Amino acid sequence: MFKIIARMWQVNWALQWQYRANLLMYVLYGLVSPVVFLSVWRSVAAAQGQVAGLTVNDFTVYYLALLIIENLTGEISIWVLAYKVQDGTLSGELLLPVHPVLTNTLMNNLANKALTFVVLLPVWGLLYLLFRPDFSSITAASLLLTIPAVLLGFLINFLLGAMITCASFWTTQVYSLSEFLFGFQLLLGGIFVPLTLLPAVAQKIAFVLPFHLFLYFPVQLVLGRLTPEQILWNFALQGLWLLLTALGFRWIWSAGLKRYSAVGA
Amino acid sequence: MSRSDDPILVDRLSKTYKVPEREGGFGAALRGFFRRKYNDVRAVQEVSFQIGTGEIVGFLGPNGAGKTTTLKMLAGLLHPTAGTARVLGCIPWERRAGFLRSITLVMGQRNRLAWDIPAVDSFLLYQAVYRLSDADYTSTLKELDELLELGPLMRKPVRNLSLGERMKCELAAALLHRPKVLFLDEPTIGLDISSQARIRAFLKEYNRRTGATILLTSHYMADVTALCERIIIIHHGRLKYDGGLTELSRRIAPFKIIGVDLIDNAEADLSVYGTLVNGGEGGKRQVQVRADQVAQITAAMLANLPVLDLTVEDPPIEVVIERAFQE
Repeated sequence: MFKIIARMWQVNWALQWQYRANLLMYVLYGLVSPVVFLSVWRSVAAAQGQVAGLTVNDFTVYYLALLIIENLTGEISIWVLAYKVQDGTLSGELLLPVHPVLTNTLMNNLANKALTFVVLLPVWGLLYLLFRPDFSSITAASLLLTIPAVLLGFLINFLLGAMITCASFWTTQVYSLSEFLFGFQLLLGGIFVPLTLLPAVAQKIAFVLPFHLFLYFPVQLVLGRLTPEQILWNFALQGLWLLLTALGFRWIWSAGLKRYSAVGA
Repeated sequence: MSRSDDPILVDRLSKTYKVPEREGGFGAALRGFFRRKYNDVRAVQEVSFQIGTGEIVGFLGPNGAGKTTTLKMLAGLLHPTAGTARVLGCIPWERRAGFLRSITLVMGQRNRLAWDIPAVDSFLLYQAVYRLSDADYTSTLKELDELLELGPLMRKPVRNLSLGERMKCELAAALLHRPKVLFLDEPTIGLDISSQARIRAFLKEYNRRTGATILLTSHYMADVTALCERIIIIHHGRLKYDGGLTELSRRIAPFKIIGVDLIDNAEADLSVYGTLVNGGEGGKRQVQVRADQVAQITAAMLANLPVLDLTVEDPPIEVVIERAFQE
């Protein structure tokens, strides 16, 4: 299995480089919303002294950490898989004795992530120099704990994305479904605003749904802002959502394959 | 002839597609949005056949007959609506790893190879995916290289290859794991005559060396006559014929074509001997006669006409197949 993963990585890494100009555009586009929210919240906090207890520095470290976490746990299955279902090119991958999504699509995601960092890191460095934020709340322990949180968060997000992508076995309108899901991430994941600033009801909803598990939770974890109870609870929630998304994906994938008509291919 | 351990067993296999259908125009589009009409397309209907180890069988039928759908079901890509099939003892659409490691499906236009990188990179990926040892991989690739003359083609990005070159690399990618059963859908489509001939020769040699079972579709009769002793014909999703090629010819078209050259191109009414046919080589005039009257008619021609040259041929296979489709 290791050899398969390694070779898949080589192929996908090589393929990602073919589209580096395209990728640069996507990365820059992806930077827009966090950077805009960062600037907005910074000015609001600066004008009022603080917002619900959060200072200018709190917002800055939050959004700068979010930029990294968002890329670590982000996923692009819909862009690399849905069209294959729709135009039948998935057939070629279905003939192979390995799971197309759990090998190729996964490696595609990881290769994309790695290359995105090549563009993201210099931009992040510039932002750091510009705002000079105080990251002193990050400790070795918080960094170590963030590793499994990011890993689990990515897997949940990946399986969610793969499930949405599987809708393309039934409909061609799968991209709007994915946009809809992204709306939830924006609002309930903690991109638009740190979740503690949401109304109480919205917070209750946000903290049971999976979106904060791959955005807000790892960000707060690395910044050392969570109590041991909160950390434990969120890891448990990650375990639960991983199980749910894994079962959901397995079901929708096999149901989708029964519908697959391999058009054109 | 048929045995239960044959590599391909197909039993009343059927596939019905639900296809949305509407008239053209804006009004119809609007109506279709609210109430979509579906049409059942019965692509394959109760098709049964068996293929023995090492056989090369031609799977023929006009466009839309259900050939590709059948191949996709046998390769595990599609779930049938009814009926069953076993390939190497496995139910194809369960897509077990062991099954997928023993078969291959080559679809004329479609690529197993990643477009932007050299084929050899994809080959290395397949080596891992199919768990081939370095020794097996190297020897198979060497053999494929020799048979298909891949050479430097393997090291160019696939998108820079011509159609024929790409097809050769596709075939190599599809055969690296030495599959026991090959499903080939139009393996020579779009290729020039010499590439077609080379791929045909390759398939024959592969079959001889490995004893692989091959089921192939093609619109080129040259593929069929060169490779297949047995053919299966389907039309409108139903099986029409399953048997030998020569037998089909005898049954469907029990006639021969007599071609004659007359001295100094003398004028003569050949229609008294049989049905006139167009298209003789080198200006030769042709008549179609019943197979059992050939001796009698050639004798009459030789006695009554200033014959320079006379040939007796089987009807072209295209004609036979076309008649079979129409029946």
